[in-house]
Amino acid sequence: IYCGAPFCLLTLLLPPHSPGAPISPAEPISQAYSLALYMQKNTSTLLQTYLQYQGSPFSDPGFSAPELQLSSLPPAAVSFKTWHALDDGERLGHAQGAFLALTQHLQLVGDDQRDLNPGSPILLTQLGAARLRAQGLLGNMAAIMTALGLPIPPEEDTLGVVPFGASAFERKCRGYVVTREYGHWTDRAVRDLALLKAKYPG
Amino acid sequence: MALFSVLQTTFLLASLSLRTYQTEVWSEPLPWAPESLKVSINSTRQCLHLQWSVHNLAYHQELKMVFQIEISRIKTSNVIWVEDYSTTVKWNQVLHWSWESKLPLECAKHFLRMRSAVDDAKTPEQRFWSNWSSWEEVDVQNSLGHEPLFVFPKDKLVEEGSNVTICYVSRSQQNNISCYLEGVRMQGEQLGPNVSMFNLNHVAFIRETGTNIYCKVDQGDVIKGVVLFVSKVLEEPKDFSCETQDLTTLNCTWDPGRDTGLLKQLSQSYTLFESFSGKKILCKHKSWCSWQVAPESQETYNFTLTAENNLRKRSVYLLFNLTHRVHPKAPFNVLFKNVSATNATMTWKVHTIGNYYTLLCQVDLYGEGKVTQHNISVRVDGEHLFGGLEPDTQYMAQVRCANANRFWKWSEWTCQNFTTAEAAPSEAPDVWRNVKSAQGDCVVTLFWKPLLKLQANGKILFYNIVIENLDRSSISKLLSIPAPANGTEVILDQCLYQIHVTANNSVGTSPASVIIVSGDPGNTEVEEERVKGTEDGFSLSWKPQPRNVTGYIVDWCDHPRDPLCDLQWKNLGPNTTSTVVSSGAFRPGVRYNFRIYGISTERVPYLLEKKTGYSQELAPSDNPQVVMSNLTSHSFTLSWKDYSTESQPSFIQGYHVYLKSKAGQCHSGWEKAVLSDDAVCCKYKIDNPKQKTFVVENLQPESFYEFLVTPYTSVGEGPHGAFTKVTTPDEYSPILIRIILPMVFCILLITIICYLKSQWMKEKCYPDIPDPYKSSVLSLIKSKENPRLTIMNIKDCVPDSIEVLNKQEGTRKSLTETESTKPTYLYLLPTETSYSGPEPCICFENFTYNQAASDSASCGHVPVPPKAPPSQLGLLTSPENLLKSLEKNYMNSLGEIPAGETSLNYVSQLASPMSGDKSSLPTNPPEPALCSEYKMQMAIPLGLASAPSSGSSSFSSITLLDEGEHYH
Repeated sequence: IYCGAPFCLLTLLLPPHSPGAPISPAEPISQAYSLALYMQKNTSTLLQTYLQYQGSPFSDPGFSAPELQLSSLPPAAVSFKTWHALDDGERLGHAQGAFLALTQHLQLVGDDQRDLNPGSPILLTQLGAARLRAQGLLGNMAAIMTALGLPIPPEEDTLGVVPFGASAFERKCRGYVVTREYGHWTDRAVRDLALLKAKYPG
Repeated sequence: MALFSVLQTTFLLASLSLRTYQTEVWSEPLPWAPESLKVSINSTRQCLHLQWSVHNLAYHQELKMVFQIEISRIKTSNVIWVEDYSTTVKWNQVLHWSWESKLPLECAKHFLRMRSAVDDAKTPEQRFWSNWSSWEEVDVQNSLGHEPLFVFPKDKLVEEGSNVTICYVSRSQQNNISCYLEGVRMQGEQLGPNVSMFNLNHVAFIRETGTNIYCKVDQGDVIKGVVLFVSKVLEEPKDFSCETQDLTTLNCTWDPGRDTGLLKQLSQSYTLFESFSGKKILCKHKSWCSWQVAPESQETYNFTLTAENNLRKRSVYLLFNLTHRVHPKAPFNVLFKNVSATNATMTWKVHTIGNYYTLLCQVDLYGEGKVTQHNISVRVDGEHLFGGLEPDTQYMAQVRCANANRFWKWSEWTCQNFTTAEAAPSEAPDVWRNVKSAQGDCVVTLFWKPLLKLQANGKILFYNIVIENLDRSSISKLLSIPAPANGTEVILDQCLYQIHVTANNSVGTSPASVIIVSGDPGNTEVEEERVKGTEDGFSLSWKPQPRNVTGYIVDWCDHPRDPLCDLQWKNLGPNTTSTVVSSGAFRPGVRYNFRIYGISTERVPYLLEKKTGYSQELAPSDNPQVVMSNLTSHSFTLSWKDYSTESQPSFIQGYHVYLKSKAGQCHSGWEKAVLSDDAVCCKYKIDNPKQKTFVVENLQPESFYEFLVTPYTSVGEGPHGAFTKVTTPDEYSPILIRIILPMVFCILLITIICYLKSQWMKEKCYPDIPDPYKSSVLSLIKSKENPRLTIMNIKDCVPDSIEVLNKQEGTRKSLTETESTKPTYLYLLPTETSYSGPEPCICFENFTYNQAASDSASCGHVPVPPKAPPSQLGLLTSPENLLKSLEKNYMNSLGEIPAGETSLNYVSQLASPMSGDKSSLPTNPPEPALCSEYKMQMAIPLGLASAPSSGSSSFSSITLLDEGEHYH
């Protein structure tokens, strides 16, 4: 269901949380899966919109710089074997950690772009929406972990000390990495949740 | 080092001697070398910052010195910059000097050294340079970090058109690095093994968000770059001006010029500085700023407006006297009082400016397409009287004010509308009439044009019409027609009338428009003349009238085909004899009729001329409906009497008759014509448009012809539509028809007569019962005097039988029940004796029988003794007649007959019993007598027979009896 606003999605998909009561994991898994699928549809749009506003080389057709990474953001790329060998707790833990980092980074990128591209409300809106969806998915995953009886990792400041002195070009690169990794992590979350969904059918 | 210690010792000694022999120190120049050199880098601005101090200066001593600074790049021998920096040096002062490097400092080592000299006027001849300081090395590369590639300068802000140098530092040993400016590869210059630089000349503004410059290692995905923010050159503010509305706030405005195209955080700021008060404010807006006027009434202001960004600073100045820059607020409370039809007083208020200021106000009045302007001096309240206004007119007044003492600017306008009062209409309505004669009366349709706004002076409410009989002047009639009617119809007898028409509004009445309508409509036969119209209208001219004419009127209908016709007229002066009538309503193909009237001095209009014409003639669109008659084998007649030449789209000049025949030969008077479909036919031209019949002659009998009649005009003829087909008959058939038709008619007539007189005929020619007396045979006999042949006498006959049928009907039974107690008796006469006679026939005699019917209504044969004497019985020509007579008699005397309904059936013994149709027959009909050839039965109702005294007794029955008597 698309309500037209990310807030709406958030309220819809955040499960009613009553601590102590055993909850079937199937429902939060299904909800998280639906949200992840919905997010997946918009990640490439976000990346394309982002690149389009940054000028060359970012806006050049087919631009890709996989080497660009951020030390504060864990990369989504993982070998299939490693990924498959993960247990549910680890898998959810990785995703949880990544989306926590992503929400903070998306906030940072949004701030950067407000400076660098103040005249592009579309980009700023999309960045804000992506951040809210990532937060929504975090909430869903927390519900799954609660239902599965897994310990929820504590929220931590993954961003650490932000290099505020980063140059405009560095900030553009940073935003690229964040929006790109947001897509990769969403893809991975869909896979993670699909696996869980198969494991805990409703 | 040794040299240094020697120098130092010398310096110390010198210092000591300075203190001891101060006057000698001034006269003896000493090199005050720069010391404590420190070099730092401002990476953002790409500046080398140098600071040093000069020792050995006395307390409060000030010395003018020159410092020569040398900068080398990469190696000390490569000097790229030498500068002499002059300054006054104080005791214990730290000196600063900055140098902006074009090449980013990160990309190359820089070396710097300096020396000094005293540059004091007191010792001009004593100028020596100190020794050079040692080289200070500036190397930023070491502190960059361990990333593989660096590009510099970061986030540099430059002006459009300036030159910029970009460089990169690579950590890898390979030199396969390429750099791009917005996707275009740049050609660089190698500075060192891992360093290259790129000179960008005349950089262009690309976008507000900056220009991306990036470098990447060819094998690998390392991308590093910088954003170069290119600004458009900051312009000087234009049209800087300050003014005040209330002497408390100064409002300064300017045109900032074109945008520098920088992000908001990099764009310019504006500051306003006033030099007399020394106040400075930072303006929040790009194009205006408010300045609070100091309460101590500073009169003169000297403003400096400065626009400044990171690259440039621009200032403009303005010096003015506050009282000369007063721009008053717009006046308010604009009101109108004493508004009459021609005058109005306007009042308004102004915002006060100080106590002693007088304002000059300008008042404009717009109305009726005119503008009038007045200037009024005002302190607080303004007032102005507008005169000479038009009644019932909306005016727009506006007022603005300015400082009267020292004009600077007008205030904004304040507008207000007002409408003057109504006045009586000033002009008489323009009236015209159309006169028609109907049944002895004169139907006058009056038309008038609505008054112009200037004439009406208000809303016209109604029109008054006074009809004054000039013959009997005492009688006059008043009509009031509510507006917006523009005409009315009055019916007058054939008298001379004078009609006054006035227009009235709420205030009064207009002057009257007078028109004389004579009882005689004056339709004198005036020849109608044709005029040719153009798109612009009809040009009409008429003969000047010898007698006194006060003017002419031309009238016409804008829509002559409409029943309402929309009569228009035009008033023309007495000296005019021509005019052009134009109307937007004129359409091509419509005939317009114009009548030109002269108006006599007695105001009686009389028709002078009639004109008719088309604004544009069009070819006829349809052909007349032709009736063909008198078809003979050699000719036929065509007629189109109904065709109206008046209502055609052009003047009909005549007709063309087209005739198609198989023979293809045209007779004299006809000419050959080829139609549009290449068919060849004969054409006859009728020149007279009034001739609407035509006889087509010289035709062949039993031939097929097709004809078409079409009108022709100056612009062409009617459509060549469907031809009418006709076949001529053969030569003899008309003659035959002449014979056969009367014959058929005669036969038909005879047949009808025969039918109508069929009874008479039957009686005469073939009666059912032949009357021997009437038979022609009798006369023949008589003529021949043949004694042997006689007619049988009824007396000689012996009656055989009589049958009486009694029929009762339910509906009438109730009426007669009480009285009809007696049964009907039937008297059967014995027949035996009758056979005794020699005659082989049987007669029946008249006798009376009782008609009392029984309830059972049986029709059985009841033997009746022959008590009653046989009455006389005439021989009836027809039993049916008798029956009819009886019935009629019965019906007439029904009320008098006490018995139930009785029917008498006569049954012919020769006829079938079923032939009776009036009542049921007896179940046992009498046997026909064997020998009888003819039997006659007769019954007469008892009432009739016994009591014929009734007044309504049948005349026929009496006649019948009389006849019977007669024949007896």
